Amino acid sequence: MLKIIIPTIMLIPLTWMSKPNMIWINTTTYGLLISLISLFYLNQPNDNTLNSSLMFFSDSLSAPLLALTTWLLPLMLMASQHHLSKEPLTRKKLYISMLILLQLFLIMTFTASELIFFYILFEATLIPTLIIITRWGNQTERLNAGLYFLFYTLMGSLPLLVALLYIHNFMGSLNFLMIQYWIQPLPNSWSNIFLWLACMMAFMVKMPLYGLHLWLPKAHVEAPIAGSMVLAAVLLKLGGYGMMRITTLLNPLTNFMAYPFMMLSLWGMIMTSSICLRQTDLKSLIAYSSVSHMALVIVAVLIQTPCSYMGATALMIAHGLTSSMLFCLANSNYERIHSRTMILARGLQTLLPLMAAWWLLASLTNLALPPTINLIGELFVVMSSFSWSNITIILMGINITITALYSLYMLITTQRGKYSHHIKNIKPSFTRENALMTLHLLPLLLLSLNPKIILGPIY
Amino acid sequence: MNMFSSCMITALVILTLPIIMSSTKLYKNKLYPYYVKTATSYAFMISMIPTMMFIYSGQEMIISNWHWMTIQTTKLSMSFKLDYFSMIFVPVALFVTWSIMEFSMWYMHSDPYINRFFKYLLLFLITMMVLVTANNMFQLFIGWEGVGIMSFLLIGWWYGRTDANTAALQAVLYNRIGDVGFIMAMAWFQLNLNTWDLQQIFITTNDNFNLPLLGLLLAATGKSAQFGLHPWLPSAMEGPTPVSALLHSSTMVVAGVFLLIRFHPLMEHNQTIQTLTLCLGAITTLLTAICALTQNDIKKIVAFSTSSQLGLMMVTIGINQPYLAFLHICTHAFFKAMLFMCSGSIIHSLNDEQDIRKMGGLFKVLPFTTTSLIIGSLALTGMPFLTGFYSKDLIIESANTSNTNAWALLITLVATSLTAAYSTRIMFFALLGQPRFSPMILINENNPLLINSIKRLLIGSVFAGYIISHSITPTTIPQMTMPHYLKMTALAVTILGFILALELNLTTQGLKFNYPSNYFKFSSLLGYYPTIMHRLTPKTSLTISQKSASMLLDSIWLENILPKSISYFQMKSSTLISNQKGLIKLYFLSFMLTMILSLLILNYHG
Repeated sequence: MLKIIIPTIMLIPLTWMSKPNMIWINTTTYGLLISLISLFYLNQPNDNTLNSSLMFFSDSLSAPLLALTTWLLPLMLMASQHHLSKEPLTRKKLYISMLILLQLFLIMTFTASELIFFYILFEATLIPTLIIITRWGNQTERLNAGLYFLFYTLMGSLPLLVALLYIHNFMGSLNFLMIQYWIQPLPNSWSNIFLWLACMMAFMVKMPLYGLHLWLPKAHVEAPIAGSMVLAAVLLKLGGYGMMRITTLLNPLTNFMAYPFMMLSLWGMIMTSSICLRQTDLKSLIAYSSVSHMALVIVAVLIQTPCSYMGATALMIAHGLTSSMLFCLANSNYERIHSRTMILARGLQTLLPLMAAWWLLASLTNLALPPTINLIGELFVVMSSFSWSNITIILMGINITITALYSLYMLITTQRGKYSHHIKNIKPSFTRENALMTLHLLPLLLLSLNPKIILGPIY
Repeated sequence: MNMFSSCMITALVILTLPIIMSSTKLYKNKLYPYYVKTATSYAFMISMIPTMMFIYSGQEMIISNWHWMTIQTTKLSMSFKLDYFSMIFVPVALFVTWSIMEFSMWYMHSDPYINRFFKYLLLFLITMMVLVTANNMFQLFIGWEGVGIMSFLLIGWWYGRTDANTAALQAVLYNRIGDVGFIMAMAWFQLNLNTWDLQQIFITTNDNFNLPLLGLLLAATGKSAQFGLHPWLPSAMEGPTPVSALLHSSTMVVAGVFLLIRFHPLMEHNQTIQTLTLCLGAITTLLTAICALTQNDIKKIVAFSTSSQLGLMMVTIGINQPYLAFLHICTHAFFKAMLFMCSGSIIHSLNDEQDIRKMGGLFKVLPFTTTSLIIGSLALTGMPFLTGFYSKDLIIESANTSNTNAWALLITLVATSLTAAYSTRIMFFALLGQPRFSPMILINENNPLLINSIKRLLIGSVFAGYIISHSITPTTIPQMTMPHYLKMTALAVTILGFILALELNLTTQGLKFNYPSNYFKFSSLLGYYPTIMHRLTPKTSLTISQKSASMLLDSIWLENILPKSISYFQMKSSTLISNQKGLIKLYFLSFMLTMILSLLILNYHG
């Protein structure tokens, strides 16, 4: 694992020592090279895990997320070039260093083999994210958003620390790889129920569960482009990853503890997607669509069948790439129109036809067009929830319909129709932006050819 | 022997060549539409070889290649099913599309993005081919969704127009409701039969297929615009005419019926689903035929007639005759595409005038279009020995002799007679009588692209039914004996419809309603269905999402319960508990008192 971690650390001196005009290109290139190294972990020769050391390991669940994380850093760098073009050099370098630091923490979080180590890094990712949101956000509301972001996640995860200490006390170890063999079924008692809640709530808030999701739209809307991308693509997946890791410890309590959370998620995904129907703010729409997609992941993880785990993993990767791409597109609109309001950007297809093609493809992947991996993920989730209870198909069906509706509503409002006069003299789309969209779409298309590698531990 | 599969694959690969070409310089070429048309025609000719072989020897085949993935015990691979249905349908669809492509070279010649239009048309066709030849449900679903998305792009081709965008969104929305049924069926098959392969589904038995079949019926309802999910089909007329022709003839709308035909082995013993299908089809065919009676837009009339014919196909499936339904799909493709192309020709000639009240007397200026339109309409009504006769007459006969739901069958008969009525109406108002269009328009139909494409379909509309029904072996035994009055019913109701419509149309010359009657309103407002469903449902759901989901829950309750209330209570309690209240005077006073006191005490002590 050090062969990813050390190059990532070395990116920081690279940033600070590069010549002023080379900071972006250097970091992007080296970031891409690092992401190529992480692809090796996708090859999991045995069913078990690849143990790199006592502290780090990767298995077929963490490897795709790891690849996603490393893939996203160069994309974030590419996306934020315009946003930072007016900043002084030191701040640019500081910004890049923050992104690199975040990536470093994320890599270590996904590969940590010790629960307490995982916990520390999980919390550590908050710091660079908070700085990115509150320092480089566009409006004053960013401070409020940062506050929401920090307090929601901290409130959720502090009980986890207590729970971990308790588990360490009676298990003697917190190593993922070992405790899954040592674990005894938890007896049904009030204290164990609280243990379950303490373990799960941290990740539920991070996902986020409906009801605890308020921080997400705020953070997404206020964050600069790189912040939105990494939040949607990777940070939310920390929740799903953590839940999948920790539910092995909590059996058989999950069987009945899951009910309220399943209900909340199933209800919440419809609520949030219907909120999307009434959004006028483009970034907020994408943020709410993330909440609705993540509700599917929560449902899948709580059902706890091999099929649902496959669905959850596939959906996490698919959604990571898709939502990040949508944020990039929203940002490219924002840089031209200087507003996030959708109606002001209507008719862009006439002016930027290639960008319209990217919009179309991104919307189609968002509504899970076959054979994209989004569909594979959603299909598995729907299948497992259908087998859990036949009635859920009604809720899932409503959600599928509304998802299609708001994705196309977003497409039609921003791209179709007559263009308005204030956008007549906008800049054409840059090669950088087109390359950025291609780099988002390419993995999506290639993974559709061989979705096996992102289906997680069991296939 | 190997010719069979290799020719079929060649035909399919040829279709994809122009798509691959679109990344090269050729895409910028003005000849690109021509390439696409030629590719389609070659694909048609090559696909005829395996079809001939199939007709000759009756061999069927499943091609399985490229293992995609294995999930637990389910193997998913790319596989094509070359059986009766796909082998007959592929050449028909290719032939019809070939003509439509040629027609759109004429119709769309002034469009600046004509190359992209052709690419979309071809993609539309390819997705339909994927759907028809798919051997597993996943592949079928790829085609199924692909058709839906391509229709979205094509209906919304003139994206500057709000109406076009609304119609496109409507099409996707109604289809998406159907897709839920499809996904449910997929989930059910995966859970209970552990497979998505069609042949494995058919050999596995299960006691109760109600649930997945209901899902499939819902899917077919959405795609084939059956009652309840039908309003998108007439709205789809906002797209360019070639798109309507393609959408209504051989792609998209027949996909739903085709799906039910594909899954017929499961349906044939399930009385519940059959009855549902029968009633659904009957309601659709009558309602849409009634709606077609009073429309004035020529494309809308033809669109409603498609909807009515789709209802008839569903009725046929409901009376357990899938092969007849399939035959009707094939024959219907020819004359329906031609009817649309004829109306396209008229619309284009009259400077985009679609209202039949402003036409009239076109038989003098557009003789060829008139001929084709009349033949197409006659074929549609099932005039003996034209294409429509061979399927429609059989359908009505087997409906008359079956002993299921008599009401549904009666409704179907009424709709059949109405078919004749609205066809008469088009002919009467558009073609006959005095011209009512502007005299300044230069009318010219002598373009080889237009003439040839319509001519080809004209020949198809006359002979295709005979050729298809006589060269394929009969798979279900038609009813051989019946009383002569039953035999003549189909013809009798059609002629009745013709005569009545003609008389009524003639009376309109002299007499006029002072005010429209309620029946007229019902028909011209499409049975009030869009008025109710397109206002009430969106309004309530959007209001709920705004008021309750967005404002009440998100902005008020969730915001107040956790963050706001915590900060409020923190603030209150901290002010309550804290000693520091900013009372500077008091603090100083107490400070001074202490100082004085201590000084006094110390002094006194000293």
